[in-house]
Amino acid sequence: MPFEPAVDLLPALLDSPFREGYVPSIVYVSLYVSVIAVSLSTLVSVPVAIVMGFVDFRGKQFVKSVINTGMGFPSVVVGLLVLFAVSNQGPLGSLELIFTKEAMIMSQFVLATPPITAISLAAVTGVEGNVRDAARVLGGTRLDVALVVIKEARYGIATAVLAGFGRAISEVGSVLIVGGNITSSDGISKTRTLTTAVQLEARQGRYETAMVLGAVLVAIVLLVNAVVVRLGDTGGMGR
Amino acid sequence: MIRLSNVSHTYGDEPVLEDLSMSVDPGEVLAIIGPSGVGKTTLLRVLALFVRPSSGTTELDGRAVWSASESERLALRRRIGMVFQEASLFDASVVRNVEYGLRVRESWRERLRSQFRSVVGANGTPEAVREALEVVGLGDKLEQDADSLSGGEAQRVSFARALAYDPKYLMLDEPTSDLDPRNTGVIEDAIGTARKRGIGVVVATHDMHQAERIADRVGVLLGDGFSEVGPTERVFEDPTDDRTRKFISGELVY
Repeated sequence: MPFEPAVDLLPALLDSPFREGYVPSIVYVSLYVSVIAVSLSTLVSVPVAIVMGFVDFRGKQFVKSVINTGMGFPSVVVGLLVLFAVSNQGPLGSLELIFTKEAMIMSQFVLATPPITAISLAAVTGVEGNVRDAARVLGGTRLDVALVVIKEARYGIATAVLAGFGRAISEVGSVLIVGGNITSSDGISKTRTLTTAVQLEARQGRYETAMVLGAVLVAIVLLVNAVVVRLGDTGGMGR
Repeated sequence: MIRLSNVSHTYGDEPVLEDLSMSVDPGEVLAIIGPSGVGKTTLLRVLALFVRPSSGTTELDGRAVWSASESERLALRRRIGMVFQEASLFDASVVRNVEYGLRVRESWRERLRSQFRSVVGANGTPEAVREALEVVGLGDKLEQDADSLSGGEAQRVSFARALAYDPKYLMLDEPTSDLDPRNTGVIEDAIGTARKRGIGVVVATHDMHQAERIADRVGVLLGDGFSEVGPTERVFEDPTDDRTRKFISGELVY
């Protein structure tokens, strides 16, 4: 039977990582987890950076050291800590978050917040004092001055968000620990991200597919960079 | 009227202003002259209600500023404009810079509306912004980026920015110290325009000729307070204080 080999191949094809919906689903999980985590980090980091840039308080240097240490915090350790927190015996055990996207968002949040805060702080501190003074003397309230500082520091803050996003989306260790790299029975990703998928493909010796997924990851990072830089450059920031 | 009574100010342990009293009326130009480092900038910042002096009272139009509530103080502060020695423009277009003082005085609803209009490109330039830029001769630079301006143009925009929201008083800290004669002339004319509008202008300058050209009154600040305050001509022609005379004639060097 001339067609038999082809029929034999069919299950293998279906089994391939490129089964319909598989790649979009891991791209979706990667983006979903990273975008939400980075958005939450930004909502926390930028106000913290503004306050630290404006207000002198006791222990400020200590807080800065903590943030800087956080930038180099090993992601697997963060993964472990989040795992303990969400495990059945952990303080958040009742929420049943283990091996979910939400748990992954938690660990990404912990990882992305220090770099976003530190780089935003550098950007905010870099805004010249006389520009702040100008906003105030022209009749601005404290909030107006803060808004001016954010606007002036927009490129630095955009860089901070990109750095945080870069850390989140290329993260393997912690998402593997808290997410578990799970797909459902139909092959659609539950907690599998591009990075954990690449890791899996490489471990199983399927280097071509690992390369393809790696290329998709790089393309996404490039695209996000381009969009953010463009937003910072044009009317998006009310120039 | 802005009135300072027995104002002293220190930075750390260092006294900058000592027991100083003075006043500024609407529609007059008062020049503060004196050597560098004598506290001219600090005095201007106190007059602009930007710095709370270590002691003494600051009154604006009869109201004691630093014992007023925060919201009242904001309203008082908004009657005053200040131009710093450096242009200190925002990284935005000229028109955005000049309209800033108007925007912060709007309600959030109005601000959101004009932000939306500017995004869809339907936002007209407020008349006050145009007028202020014409006073400094930059009516044709509305849409230019502030960072593409020359130093002189930037300083003129900075002046227009303070003029646009029609303050009652204007503090100018060495507004022409880095400028060429042409730009200096434009700024001095603009000071004249502000005066005609009834704005009380205080100019800190180390250029005595400039003070002679533009000021109704001159205050000579030498180390520990004013050595003399009076009508420009009288102070320059016939100073009553010995140190003032020496400073004006160039004998007193700091």
